Amino acid sequence: MEEHIISAEHLTKRYGDLLAVDDLSIGVRKGEIFGFLGPNGAGKTTTIRMLTTMTPPTSGTVSIAGHDSVREYREARGSIGVIQQHNSLDKDISVRENIVHHALMQNMKRSEIRKRVEELCGAMGLEDRMDSLVEDLSGGWKKRVSIVCSMMHRPPVLFMDEPTTGLDTQSRNALWALIKKLNGEGATIFLTTHYISEAEALCDRIGIINKGRMIALGTSDELRGRIGVVTVERQNADGTTDNAYFGGRAEAKAHMQGLPEDANVSIRRTSLEDVFLELTGRKL
Amino acid sequence: MLRLLDETMRVAYGDLCFMRRNAASVLVSSMVAPILYLVAFGYGMRSGSSEGGVDYIAFVVPGIIAISSMTAGFSSTSQKILIQRLFHSSFDELILCPVGISSIVFGKSVVGMVRGLLGSAIMLSLGLMLTDDIHLTPWLILCIMLSCFAFSMMGVMAGLLANNSQTLAMISNLVLLPMTFMCGTLFSTDSFPGPVSAAIGALPLTHSSEVLRSVALGWDFPWASLGVVAAYCAAFFLADYRLIKKGRY
Ligand SMILES: Nc1ncnc2c1ncn2[C@@H]1O[C@H](COP(=O)(O)OP(=O)(O)OP(=O)(O)O)[C@@H](O)[C@H]1O
Ligand SMILES: [Mg+2]
Repeated sequence: MEEHIISAEHLTKRYGDLLAVDDLSIGVRKGEIFGFLGPNGAGKTTTIRMLTTMTPPTSGTVSIAGHDSVREYREARGSIGVIQQHNSLDKDISVRENIVHHALMQNMKRSEIRKRVEELCGAMGLEDRMDSLVEDLSGGWKKRVSIVCSMMHRPPVLFMDEPTTGLDTQSRNALWALIKKLNGEGATIFLTTHYISEAEALCDRIGIINKGRMIALGTSDELRGRIGVVTVERQNADGTTDNAYFGGRAEAKAHMQGLPEDANVSIRRTSLEDVFLELTGRKL
Repeated sequence: MLRLLDETMRVAYGDLCFMRRNAASVLVSSMVAPILYLVAFGYGMRSGSSEGGVDYIAFVVPGIIAISSMTAGFSSTSQKILIQRLFHSSFDELILCPVGISSIVFGKSVVGMVRGLLGSAIMLSLGLMLTDDIHLTPWLILCIMLSCFAFSMMGVMAGLLANNSQTLAMISNLVLLPMTFMCGTLFSTDSFPGPVSAAIGALPLTHSSEVLRSVALGWDFPWASLGVVAAYCAAFFLADYRLIKKGRY
């Protein structure tokens, strides 16, 4: 069997009548960047919270780096870093105090903390804000602080719930570079995003979740293959579009032949966005 | 044991930073209530009289110490946790770290311990200046710590359970305030009717006040009450531990 550094079996989370996550199984390989896509409310955050031991699952099991998330929560927690979707810093203390607190909680030594703070805060451009109260920072700056916190102890597995949402272009590029660098050094990364281009640019494999269920999983090319790698897009007079997907150009051309002469059609490679919309439903 | 202590301090670091930033207001607010009680009860109401065979000041000071340990221990922990859980979501970060659940419970009680001890120390110093009947012994300090600990553990529980600040205010008004006045802290409860006495006998403040008074005044050692306070500590601790373990926060 293949070794998975993050592995979840039949994860289910119920909130009253609501089935937020429904029998989800995932295996993430060591050293991979795994992207998790899904519409609002699909269950991405709930899944991350269960994978990171924060929320106990209603049923199912999680293991992180070989440690069961319930029985060996301490070991499991020691091998992960998490950037939560919503800012989770203590706003009553300074940026430095937050970062140091976080590192202390990870059992780091003072001397080690000092070095690492310099290194990471340099990378995220935080040097001038170290002594500001977190309360006084803008949203993007808070995000950068969370990013630094999550990476302080060099966790072999990083979970990032929408890490780039709310960041400006510079910080987003900086974070992408940081993610690639960490991954190059061997870290496994599990991230969620609403930016499909981000998933495509960064991730080795992508899982699509809808209504608590994993509905597709694979590389972006495999996902394209799920619906057809060639798209024929037809613009209707009322502004809507109809897409048809084909396994190859020949079939697509044949389909186009059958359309009226004056139809506004184009043929292109299927995008990951097409896959996402096709699988999760185009309408809200 | 050493690991538990080390982890506890790591958990408490953030809260201690907060206290250091706000040292002045922490100090002032720790002083106000005990001094008010002392002035109002010690001088205003009962000056010159005696209670339980000693000067009233000597009687009331240990009671006020018990009250301070309760209010400071309870409110500073419960409010901090409530804010960190609901408004900052930073409580999640604690849960995410590789520390034991006991360390989280103890670590979160540190603010309550510090503030409770601060208030108690202020009151005790005043007491020592005002009367010769109060004896400062290691036992007294230990008992004060135990009392602060019990109410900090209770504060942790309230902070984990409450879902808005209204709930905390309600606990303050419905639980702490009656205890403040009814638990034999400010006057002897000997004259209360039987059923009321019995109910009061079950409350933690009754026993923490009894312990502190007996130890401070050199009366017979109140083993039974000490046992009750210790049992409350254990019960609150177990409740806190379970709440965190089950993800109920
Ligand atoms: N603590 C909770 N109590 C009750 N319901 C919850 C709770 N947390 C999440 N839910 C519900 O579970 C479902 C999944 O939510 P979740 O936050 O996992 O979605 P998401 O995929 O992260 O969405 P988004 O893209 O908006 O972040 C939603 O319907 C949400 O309302
Ligand atoms: Mg989410």
